[in-house]
Amino acid sequence: MKRLYALSLLLLIGYQPVAHAHAVVTGYSLKMTPIHAHQADKVSLNFNSKIELGLSQVFLVSKGDQLTPLKIAQGDKQGQMMIAIPALAPGDYALKLKVFAADGHLTEDVIHFTVVP
Amino acid sequence: MAGIADFLDSLIGGFALICFAFAIGSLFWGLFVLRPWQREAGYPILLLEKTVKLMYLGGFALAGAQLFKIILKIWLMTAVLDKWPFPEFAGTTQFIGGIIRALLTGALASYCYLVLRKNPYSKQYWQTAGWVAVPMIISGAWLVHAAGRFDNPFLLMGLTVIHQLGAAAWVGGVFHLVNIWLMRSKGQIPDDLWPLLLKRFSLFGMASVGVILLTGLPMALQYIDSWNGFIGTGYGNLLTVKIILLGLALSLAGLNKTAVQDYLITRNDHTLTYRLPYYIEAEAFVLITLLFTAASLASQPPSIDIPNLTASWQEVLDMFTPRTPRTASPTHQALIAGEAGRVAIIGQIPSEAATAWSDYNHNIAGIFLTTMSVFAMLSYVKRLPPTFSVFERYLAYLTRYWPIGFVALGIFLFFRSDAETWPLGPIGFWESTFNNGEVLQHRIATLLVFVLGVIELIARLPRNQNSRLPYFFPILAAFGGLMLLTHSHVGFQAKSAFLIQVGHTLMGVFSLILACGRWLELKLDRPGKDIAGFISVAALFQIGLILLFYREPLY
Repeated sequence: MKRLYALSLLLLIGYQPVAHAHAVVTGYSLKMTPIHAHQADKVSLNFNSKIELGLSQVFLVSKGDQLTPLKIAQGDKQGQMMIAIPALAPGDYALKLKVFAADGHLTEDVIHFTVVP
Repeated sequence: MAGIADFLDSLIGGFALICFAFAIGSLFWGLFVLRPWQREAGYPILLLEKTVKLMYLGGFALAGAQLFKIILKIWLMTAVLDKWPFPEFAGTTQFIGGIIRALLTGALASYCYLVLRKNPYSKQYWQTAGWVAVPMIISGAWLVHAAGRFDNPFLLMGLTVIHQLGAAAWVGGVFHLVNIWLMRSKGQIPDDLWPLLLKRFSLFGMASVGVILLTGLPMALQYIDSWNGFIGTGYGNLLTVKIILLGLALSLAGLNKTAVQDYLITRNDHTLTYRLPYYIEAEAFVLITLLFTAASLASQPPSIDIPNLTASWQEVLDMFTPRTPRTASPTHQALIAGEAGRVAIIGQIPSEAATAWSDYNHNIAGIFLTTMSVFAMLSYVKRLPPTFSVFERYLAYLTRYWPIGFVALGIFLFFRSDAETWPLGPIGFWESTFNNGEVLQHRIATLLVFVLGVIELIARLPRNQNSRLPYFFPILAAFGGLMLLTHSHVGFQAKSAFLIQVGHTLMGVFSLILACGRWLELKLDRPGKDIAGFISVAALFQIGLILLFYREPLY
C-alpha cells in the first residue's frame, strides 16, 4: 500500500502538462520589420508564457474596425506565435488578440501597425 | 451572460483559497495545535467533531469550487471566443489539473467524513489524513502562476505551494480560534481550553507567518525586478496591498499574543474574554480579504514581463495629488458623441468628455463621503467649543443619521455610472448588466451602497437599539472592499488600467479598515470601542479624499 502511495506521488510529481500564466506580449516582429503593401507576410509574437493556440484567436482590424480572422501557428521558440498576414493596402491596421493562457486567463490585447507603401 | 461569468471568475479564486484554508488549516490545527491523542480526557467529543466537520466541509467546498472554476472557464470562453471550447479545452492544464485536484480534494474530504469523523482521537487516522492530503496539495502546483514560467518553474511552483500551506495554516488556525470562542461562549467546551489553545496557536501562527515570509520574498524577487515594477504595475500594486494587509493582520495577532502573555502572568482573563475574541474576528476579516487579494494577484502579469507598460512613481503619485474637485459635468450628449471614437481600434480618439464624466462621478462621491465622515467623526466629540454650542441641537441628528448620505450616493451612482447604459444611455439594463462584468460590478456596488445606507439608518432608529442590524454595516463594507481589491483588469490600455486600479485598491484597503473598525466598535468595551470607531470613520474620510482628488487618465 505504501509503495502504491509513493508511486502515485511520483506520478503526480512527474505529471508535467504544459502550463502557462497570464499571457502578455513581450515582443513582436512588427517592431523590427514593417509590413510592405501588397505582400503577404508573417508576424511573430512572443508571450511571457506558452499559450493554448487552439483556444486563441487573432483578428486583423482594418479601417472602420472591420475584423478578419487570421491563421495562427506555433513559432519555433517557447511562447512564440506566428500569424499569417494577407497582402494589404497601405494604411493603419491592428491585430486584435484573444489569448488563452493555461492558468485559465483570457487576455485581450491590441497591437497597432502601419503598412508602408 | 459573459458579465456574470467574468464577475464570478474574479471571486472564485479567493473562495477556493478560503476553502483550502478550512481543509488544510483544519488538518494542521488537528495535527499540531489540538493534538487530540494527547488530551483524550480534556477535549469534549463535540470539539473534535466540529474540527473534523470544518475540515471535510472545506474539502467538499474546495472540490466544488474547483469544478465550478472549470465550468466558469467554459462559459467565459464560449462567450468571448464565440465558440464551444471543446475538444481543445480538454487537453489544457486548467481542465486536466483542475479535475485531478477536484478528485483528490474529494478523496481527502471523503476520508475525513467517512473515517476520521468516527476516530477523531486517533493519532494514526489524523496522520493518514495528512498523507491523503499530500497529493492534493502537490496537484495544486500545476494550477498556480509559477507553472507557466519559462525560468525556474519548479522552484517557483514549490515556493508557491509552500506559501499557500503557510497561509492555510495561519488562516485556518484563526478560523478555528473563532470556532473555539463560539463554542466556549455556548458553554460547549471547558473555559481553560481557550487560553491553552490560544497559547499553542501563538507559536504555531508565528511559524506559519515565518513560512509565508520565507517563501514570499524569493517569489517577489523573481516576479518584480525593479522598484518601478513594484510601484508602477498592477502586480506590484496588489503585492503592496498584500503587505499592508499582512501588517494589519500581524498587528491584531500581536495584540492577541500580548493578551495571552498578560493572562499567563496575571491570570486576569478580562482581555482574554472581552477583547481578544473580537480582535481575532477582525483578524479573520483581514485574512479573508488577503486571500482574495492573493487570488487577484495571480491574474496579473508579473512586473518583470511588462517593463514597457510600467507607470513611473511620479505618475502613481499624481493620482493622489490634491486638486480642485470637478463639480461640473459634461453633458450626456457630449459623452455619447465621444464614445464611438474612444472605443474605436483604428483611429481611436481619447474622449475628454468620458474622462471628465468619470472624474465628476468620483469627485462628487468624494464630497458625499468626506462630508458624511466629518459628521461621523464629530459624533465622537463629547461637547462642541462654546462658540459652536448653538449647533449642538442639530448636530445630534446629523452625527447620528449621517449614513443617509449612502442612500443619496447610491441614487447618484445609479444614474451616473455607466452612462452609455440604462437609464441614461441606449443600452438596456439587463443587456448591459449581464453582458459586461464591469457594469455588473458597478451595479452591485451601487446596490451595496444604497442597501448599506438604508440598513444602517434603520439600525440607528431608537426602537432598533438592540437589534443585530448594525452588524450588516461592517459586513457589507468588507464585501465592498473585497470587490474593489478583486476588480482589476489588464486590457487594451494596461498602464491606464493600472493607474485607475491603484486608487481603487487603496480604497479597498481603507474599506477593510472601515469594516474592521466598525466591527470592533460594536463588540469592544471602552476605550477600545471609541478608538476603533474613530479609526473606522477616519478610514471613510480617507476614501472620500481619494475620490475627491481622483483624476482618470485620458484614454
